[in-house]
Amino acid sequence: MGTSVGQIDGATAQANVAGDYYGPKMDLKERVCGELQKEVLKGASSTNFKTQHRQKWEDPSSTLDYSTRIEPLFQAFNQTSQTQSLLLCNNQIKVPMQDGSVNDLLQASKIQDWDPSAMLNNLSFLEQKIHQLQDLVYLIIGRKGQVLGRPDELLVQQQQLVTADLTSIIVQLISTAGSLLPSVKQTLSAATTSLGQCGEFGGVVFPSSAQGLNDGVQPQNAGGSKVSELANSVDITSNNGNEQNNHIIEEHELKDEEDAEEGENLLPGTYEILQLEKEEILAPHTHFCTICGKGFKRDANLRMHMRGHGDEYKTPGALAKPTKESSSEPTIIKRYSCPYAGCKRNKDHKKFQPLKTILCVKNHYKRTHCDKSYICSRCNTKKFSVIADLKTHEKHCGKDKWLCSCGTTFSRKDKLFGHITLFQGHTPAIPSDETKAAPVGTSDGATNKVGSVNFNLSSYVSSESDVQSSSMDIKGGINDAVGYFSPLSFDTCNFGGFHEFPRPPFDDSESSFAFLLSRSCNYSQKSGEE
Amino acid sequence: MLSFQSSKNVLSLTEDLLVRIYELLAAESDRKSFRLVCREFRRIDSLTRRHLRVIRIEFLPILLRKYPRLQSLDLSACPRIDDGVVSLLLTRVGPGSNSPSLGHWAWGLKSLVLSRATGLRFSGLEMLTRACPCLESVDVSYCCGFGDREAAALSSAVGLRELNMDKCLQLTDVGLAKIAVGCSKLEKLSLKWCMEITDLGIDLLCKKCVDLKYLDVSYLKVTNESLHSIACLLKLEVLGLMACPLIDDVGLQFIERGCPSLKVIDVSRCEGVSSSGLIFVVRGHRNLLELNAGYCLSELSTALLHQMKNLNHLEVIRIDGARISETSFQVISANCKSLVEIGLSKCVGVTNMGIMRLVSGCINLRVLNLTCCHSITDAAISAIAYSCRSLVCLKVESCNMITEKGLCQLGSFCLLLEEIDLTDCCGVNDKGLEYLSRCSELSCLKLGLCTNISNKGLSYIGSNCLKIHELDLYRCTGIGDDGLEALSNGCKKLRKLNLSYCNEVSDRGLGYIGRLEELSDLEMRALHKITGVGLEAVAVGCKRLADLDMKHCEKVGDSGFWALAYYSKNLRQINLSYCGISDMALCMVMGNLSRLQEAKLVHLSNSTVEGVELALRACCVRIKKVKLFAPLRFMLSSEILEILHARGCIIRWD
Repeated sequence: MGTSVGQIDGATAQANVAGDYYGPKMDLKERVCGELQKEVLKGASSTNFKTQHRQKWEDPSSTLDYSTRIEPLFQAFNQTSQTQSLLLCNNQIKVPMQDGSVNDLLQASKIQDWDPSAMLNNLSFLEQKIHQLQDLVYLIIGRKGQVLGRPDELLVQQQQLVTADLTSIIVQLISTAGSLLPSVKQTLSAATTSLGQCGEFGGVVFPSSAQGLNDGVQPQNAGGSKVSELANSVDITSNNGNEQNNHIIEEHELKDEEDAEEGENLLPGTYEILQLEKEEILAPHTHFCTICGKGFKRDANLRMHMRGHGDEYKTPGALAKPTKESSSEPTIIKRYSCPYAGCKRNKDHKKFQPLKTILCVKNHYKRTHCDKSYICSRCNTKKFSVIADLKTHEKHCGKDKWLCSCGTTFSRKDKLFGHITLFQGHTPAIPSDETKAAPVGTSDGATNKVGSVNFNLSSYVSSESDVQSSSMDIKGGINDAVGYFSPLSFDTCNFGGFHEFPRPPFDDSESSFAFLLSRSCNYSQKSGEE
Repeated sequence: MLSFQSSKNVLSLTEDLLVRIYELLAAESDRKSFRLVCREFRRIDSLTRRHLRVIRIEFLPILLRKYPRLQSLDLSACPRIDDGVVSLLLTRVGPGSNSPSLGHWAWGLKSLVLSRATGLRFSGLEMLTRACPCLESVDVSYCCGFGDREAAALSSAVGLRELNMDKCLQLTDVGLAKIAVGCSKLEKLSLKWCMEITDLGIDLLCKKCVDLKYLDVSYLKVTNESLHSIACLLKLEVLGLMACPLIDDVGLQFIERGCPSLKVIDVSRCEGVSSSGLIFVVRGHRNLLELNAGYCLSELSTALLHQMKNLNHLEVIRIDGARISETSFQVISANCKSLVEIGLSKCVGVTNMGIMRLVSGCINLRVLNLTCCHSITDAAISAIAYSCRSLVCLKVESCNMITEKGLCQLGSFCLLLEEIDLTDCCGVNDKGLEYLSRCSELSCLKLGLCTNISNKGLSYIGSNCLKIHELDLYRCTGIGDDGLEALSNGCKKLRKLNLSYCNEVSDRGLGYIGRLEELSDLEMRALHKITGVGLEAVAVGCKRLADLDMKHCEKVGDSGFWALAYYSKNLRQINLSYCGISDMALCMVMGNLSRLQEAKLVHLSNSTVEGVELALRACCVRIKKVKLFAPLRFMLSSEILEILHARGCIIRWD
């Protein structure tokens, strides 16, 4: 654990050097704050929230109380920080708190294994929270008339309230995700000790503000386990929404990177091995706004975002790409290890093959060690753990024309052939629609067409169909199929005079009127072969 | 042949002795005579016969019953083999039949030739492969409609060792994969002109069928990748890469290191291959027996020659079209002592001196191709004749300087000579033919465009070369009826004859031709003197006639065509272009000739559209290829065109 903290920092630096996309760059401080804040919220509200909550929302009479009670809070906020944003204060909040609760949380999250049902609970809980926020907004709208006295002030307050609730939901999402990271926990516990010294105003301000926030965030006496579960749920759902497209493009572009470096032959020891923990790998965002807490996958995007927080972020210096700090010293090649024990990409594996970038780590981990939770909606069979893979698949789904006899489909012929080479007895399957064009049928049709023409063909058609149905007797009588293969025989056309031709002694000219089988008995003594 | 006086003794011989006697009869005609002797002999014939080539499908059921021990069945000459016929044969003559006389013909069958069976499709093929559990060899070459489904049907023959799929145009990698997986014992596979096959298919084939000894991928658009795969075939002996445009020297480098058993390689007409590529091949395979590099080398380079010194076992080399120097001949002569065949067609730099040097060392030469080596003269021919006493085949087409002197030497020393091509050698005269006629083994003689020969010369051939079965007299304008008379008296074995543009030939001459009972192939374009009478004589006399080309025989009237329709039951191909055939006669010919597979019917002056339509309807069930006057495309009913198409018939519009 101790080493991994250092590694994370290294990783962060590396990500910055490599380019500011999607690295696990985490503003640890911010994380810690989020963590702390949540913890504080919980601590403050855990005992009385439930009842309070009921009172508040079920008893309309108490609403006034509520607003008034909150009011001083916001005033206080306005005093301490000049910005509208609530979250700015998060940075400054220094809350004295018991180490115990934090440790509990850590313990819990460490022990906790992924539990789908619990996750579902958490998801529905979040949903509930959002509904509550909705209700709150309705309430504010409904109450508008009652507070005509101080409209401006109230409006500001309401805005602040809603912002606070929204923010708290976001913060919860982020922090719960972040709380799963052991490295963060480490810092967290280290930080808590130092935090104790500067908690004067936080002690006053925060508990009440926590209540306000808590309405939207932490309804129950949730323990650390709850939080970690939430973190899981966040992972799963994190790829939805607006960021989806962004996500796809990024991952798709770099998808092959993991494969590409397969052949890389770096001597062991010539590079530094970094190992991110599972939770960090699965965290959706790596760059967080220190002011509002919004998460980004790219540092560049964060910098763009920061412009909205004030002019000081608009300077070229602030917008510039962070320069390589280690430019003076020789850069050590960094490679990554998968935290999954026993994996070939794990540094303890005998034939360890390092991963090149953090993105590789992420994709590798999701593909190899996570459930394939994305199911293609078209074919309902293919599953993916990386959403970009799903999107890529969906582009080709249904176009998989290369089918193996085992039922596996391939979008590319070479992949099918590779598969066939690999597996004994597998053969490519030929699409069945061709069967309809069976030539027997067509020849039948053709024959019938011949028959339909007004043309002296004697019994040609019927005999042909006789053969097709195999009903003709081989030894058959002469009547059976007159003119079977000889539609224009001398029999049917009377060309007098030409019968006088001298017949060669062994001539089998009779067969000119004959057909496949009916006369064949006559020739049993002769041979038709060469 | 056995004499009739001793027939009692012969009949008292036991069955196994009779079988041994029968097996010694090589010629088909002798076997035919044998089985016509008596019932007992016929029974021996039935019991012993292993191979059957069927020409008329109507006899097939009886023949299959008659010969229960068949191992090899050739249906390539049968028109109208289709799925219906196959199912009929299998249900009526097959194992399911109640009658004990109906043998299980398919059970023992090992070889099946279905070349050009365009009417057959996968369902019929599947029935066949299923019914023949012992099948080892299948030939479906030139079944242009065959594709993956047919390949899938074939792949159920798991014991298959030999497969020829030349020109199965629809075959793709998928079908090839089917075969590769299904028939893993495959040893011989030919895929010429299967244009859809790519490297992927070849790669899979080489991985699945590791026993391959013979692989022909000529004319395919495969690249060096395929050669990389092929190089892994440890047992491969014969590799055909003819006219593979995407293969180059880099690919041949793989062959240098792979295919340890390689004996024969054909890279002729490969545009990308040069001397350096061949050096790789030669360097890697010292035991090479045959190297075919025609029309891919511009020059026989010294570097390549240097490598070829090591090919002590080389028997066949063809370097057609290359520039070659006299010293090169010296090197070949000194090192490749086992050479049996050398192909120098259209080579630049072939001189008398070069040939003399060559034959001084390579005395075992049996086949020598000097086509279009214009500078050689009698001196070279004399040297060849003197050194190579076992010469069997000599091709000197268009070597104008050869005269009777050279032929004299050949006639004196090369008594084993069987085939000689003297086309366009205007130095050949009657005297020369007299000398040549001393080669009594001669079976194939090509004298096309030798305008200096006359009936007299031909009479020498007719009286001495009794084994001749192919004679080409194209544009030998000196030839007339008398020459043909001499020919018909002596060369009774004649099977193939070309009389095109021999303007002197008249009905009387054709009368003599009619005496040639073995004749199967007759080309007589533009014989302006002949009429229906002559054609009738040919039709009546040449019972085996299978291929008749009488383009521009304008004087032949309907009576001749009637006779043709009536007698030439074995006719498979006919060219009637520019003939004055009437509608009725055309219908007769097309409808009545039950074995007709290919017809060329362009510019029929006396025929109408209706007549052609009727004729096509009459033959549509069996015709495989037809050439028609282009404007007819829009005059014929779409119906008949559809029918023809459905039957797998190819129409060429001219």
